Amino acid sequence: MNSLGTYLFIAAALFVIGVFGLLQRRSLIGMLIAIELMLNGASLNFMAFNRFLGPDPVIGQVYTLFIMGFAAAETAIALSIIIALFRRIRSINIEQARELRG
Amino acid sequence: MTPLQELVDPGLLAQAAFAVIVVFTFTGALIAVLPRNILYNVLGLILCLTGIAGLFLYLGSPFIALMELLIYVGAICISIVFAIMLSRPLHLSLPKRHLPKVLGAGAVALAVFGVLAIIIFRTPWHAAFVRGNDWSITSIGAYMLTRYSLVFEVMSVVLLVAILGAILITSTGGRRAP
Amino acid sequence: MNAAWIQDPNLLAAALSAGAPLAAFALIMLLTRPHPRLSAGISITAIAVSLAGALFLLARNGSMTAPIQVTGRWLVSGEIHIPFGFLLDPLSLLMLAIVATISFLVQVYSLGYMAGDPGFSRYYGCQSLFAWAMLTLSISPTMIQLYIFWELVGLASYLLIGFWYEKFSASEAGKKAFVMTRLGDIAFFLGLLIVLLQFGNLNILDMNGPEVAERLSPGLITLSAVLIFGGVVGKSAQFPLLTWLPDAMEGPTPVSALLHSATMVAAGVYMFARIFPFFSLSPEAMSLFLAIGTITMLLSSTMAMVTRDIKQVWAYSTISQLGFMVMGLAAGGYAAGVFHLTTHAGFKALLFLCSGVFIHHYETNDMFVIGRRGGRGLLIPMICMSLAAAALSGLPPLSGFFSKEAIMGVLADHPNPIWLAAGLLGAFLTAYYTFRLIFIILRPNAREAAHADGHSTHAGHHGAGLYGLMAAPLIVLAAVTLGLGFFETPLAAFLTRAATRAAGHHAWLLFVAVGLALAGTGLAWLEFGRRGAAQVGFVERVPALRALFAQRWYLDHLYRLLLDRVIYGLFSNLFTRNDRRVIDGAIDGLCKATVGGGRLLAFMQSGMLQYNLMVIFGVLAVVGLGFLFFG
Repeated sequence: MNSLGTYLFIAAALFVIGVFGLLQRRSLIGMLIAIELMLNGASLNFMAFNRFLGPDPVIGQVYTLFIMGFAAAETAIALSIIIALFRRIRSINIEQARELRG
Repeated sequence: MTPLQELVDPGLLAQAAFAVIVVFTFTGALIAVLPRNILYNVLGLILCLTGIAGLFLYLGSPFIALMELLIYVGAICISIVFAIMLSRPLHLSLPKRHLPKVLGAGAVALAVFGVLAIIIFRTPWHAAFVRGNDWSITSIGAYMLTRYSLVFEVMSVVLLVAILGAILITSTGGRRAP
Repeated sequence: MNAAWIQDPNLLAAALSAGAPLAAFALIMLLTRPHPRLSAGISITAIAVSLAGALFLLARNGSMTAPIQVTGRWLVSGEIHIPFGFLLDPLSLLMLAIVATISFLVQVYSLGYMAGDPGFSRYYGCQSLFAWAMLTLSISPTMIQLYIFWELVGLASYLLIGFWYEKFSASEAGKKAFVMTRLGDIAFFLGLLIVLLQFGNLNILDMNGPEVAERLSPGLITLSAVLIFGGVVGKSAQFPLLTWLPDAMEGPTPVSALLHSATMVAAGVYMFARIFPFFSLSPEAMSLFLAIGTITMLLSSTMAMVTRDIKQVWAYSTISQLGFMVMGLAAGGYAAGVFHLTTHAGFKALLFLCSGVFIHHYETNDMFVIGRRGGRGLLIPMICMSLAAAALSGLPPLSGFFSKEAIMGVLADHPNPIWLAAGLLGAFLTAYYTFRLIFIILRPNAREAAHADGHSTHAGHHGAGLYGLMAAPLIVLAAVTLGLGFFETPLAAFLTRAATRAAGHHAWLLFVAVGLALAGTGLAWLEFGRRGAAQVGFVERVPALRALFAQRWYLDHLYRLLLDRVIYGLFSNLFTRNDRRVIDGAIDGLCKATVGGGRLLAFMQSGMLQYNLMVIFGVLAVVGLGFLFFG
């Protein structure tokens, strides 16, 4: 169980679940949640490589920390966009946000 | 009272705990994606992230596991709950599933998973020749302030800009509202 | 090299004197524009630093044996290396000192002249820009750097000539100066390119070296020399591009003094002297230059004989003196030409600054009006102006006498006596028109003076402080004019690095030249200065001649005609049609195609973000598979 492959599979599965959610959810918040899943898949990857392959166990952890920081920033922006959009079209359904349609 | 170790093989116990954590993670992930009620999704995400924190423990980094709980579960999920409350999607009718779309998404996701799986299998992974074993928070802190200090600074600026941007976007959005 | 910068006082001084005005320009234009006094202070401080640096360099390197050159790499393209830096040799040091001195005096003078002008800060900003460009031009080690700053000088002069841009004629004059000098500069640049392509570099020391003759064929040298001389023709207002200079008098008078007498137009002659050995390689080109200089000198002298505008007289005389310098240089008198450049800078700046006092005081450019209103009452300017006029006419013992004699000596050595004759005629005409002006102001017509008495009382309404500010530079320059002539021998030795007399001494020439100058003065006295003189010149008695001279030999009309017929009538028309039909049509077609294409493509853009994402991930998967199985 405690091998690199296991963790990579778990990470890939999380990422793919995130992709699936991102593609099929209509609610913007649902999409945001899916993106969080994808990001976590990525940081799990970093941590796994760090544990099994990396030369210095600190680096992967630092990377994961950075990913968390950027995830926080991204969430803040995304949520504010969602709220602004909600005020505008009274909905958070992505399929209704199509004012840029040609 | 006999200690647990004597009843069950510690290695087996660890494996069982690992399996439970993985099950938690995937259950959480699926709950985060599948149900149409947005509140269930958030709860699923919390479950999933907690599982991932457990995985980080297994990967030998209690600090990152803690940060995972603190930042993701504690901050991000809570702010998503706030967003849900502010945009009140619960009052709106639940969006219906659109079968072709779900199928298409599933197919694409499977294809991506397939590619990733093949890559994982086919790549010969080599560990680095020299491997340190310094997992301490002390050295993480030292790295953040020496070698990665620039990234650290940039991240701080990004967070600041994100906060300002969030405020700006929501405020102008409000002014433009009809 | 970094340490050398700081430690070598030469470099430090050169960098300081070239860089200070730039700093002042940036400061003024960016920060202190709303504060005129501060701007003027900054500008004058900067130019004072430059002056100190220049004088220090001159004093330190007075007995230098080899030129000092410091360059840094600036542009490398294939085989061609173009460095940037300083070249300090006697000529550039001399020019540096001249430019810094005149700029400094003019800026001090401008404190009085420009006081209260709404564009005071802008004026000083432009002055600093000009000083920077001109100082750096003087110490350029390569022709490319010289050319860059040459154009910057042109820009600064454009800004200063058109300084009063609200006035239509001023902005027109600025444009005219810019465009006409640009004509010459095109030739200049082409010439430089020829040398660059054939010779491989444009370092001044290399161009003056012996290799040029080996690497370039004589025909090519003549061609490039003539083309490069085009720059001199434009910048120093030689025939046939001489008409912009009189119009450039639309700018403020200190600007005229600075740019159009002492420094900017002298840049052309300076450049001639700078690569004098290169030009000397082509006797044909030198003969052409000699002819151009002569024609310029005579034409502009005749123009100066009829005009009523005090500044225009000096403008024409500047052109004529520049022609004279070109003659001297082209006849082989390097030291003589440069010496005349030096002395001319002094007395011509003095003449302009004096006229500036009159113009500022009486608010008119007309010398007859100034005379009637009692121009001779302003003692300091009047005395200084007479002094400078005598120097201009070449009367001993003023500086102009020595430098003119030097050039005459060179001309006399030339095998063809025509040039000497022309030079002597020029000296006569110069004396005539110069003293015509002096006498008109000094001895106004008695009856006209009577009814103009009212004006003279109200004159002097300006503050005494301003007058003092303007008078101080006059006195300095007058002293220079008086004394500079006696430095001829050391200066020539300094320039040529060997104490050789440039030309054989012709005792008879001295008397002839001075005699002719005196004759010109006498004629002017007869017609203008004598009690009861009619104040009508001998040229003005012949209407045809007068019209010819006053209209500048109809050169402007010719240019206007060419411009209208050839440029506007032919090329412009063709180009307009080309623009309308071909280019506009093509662009319109392109626009329509783009808009139509956009309309078509817009149908694909459904606004469905998730489908786009789906495609992205699908493609990602496919590409990944492709790499795995076919990569």
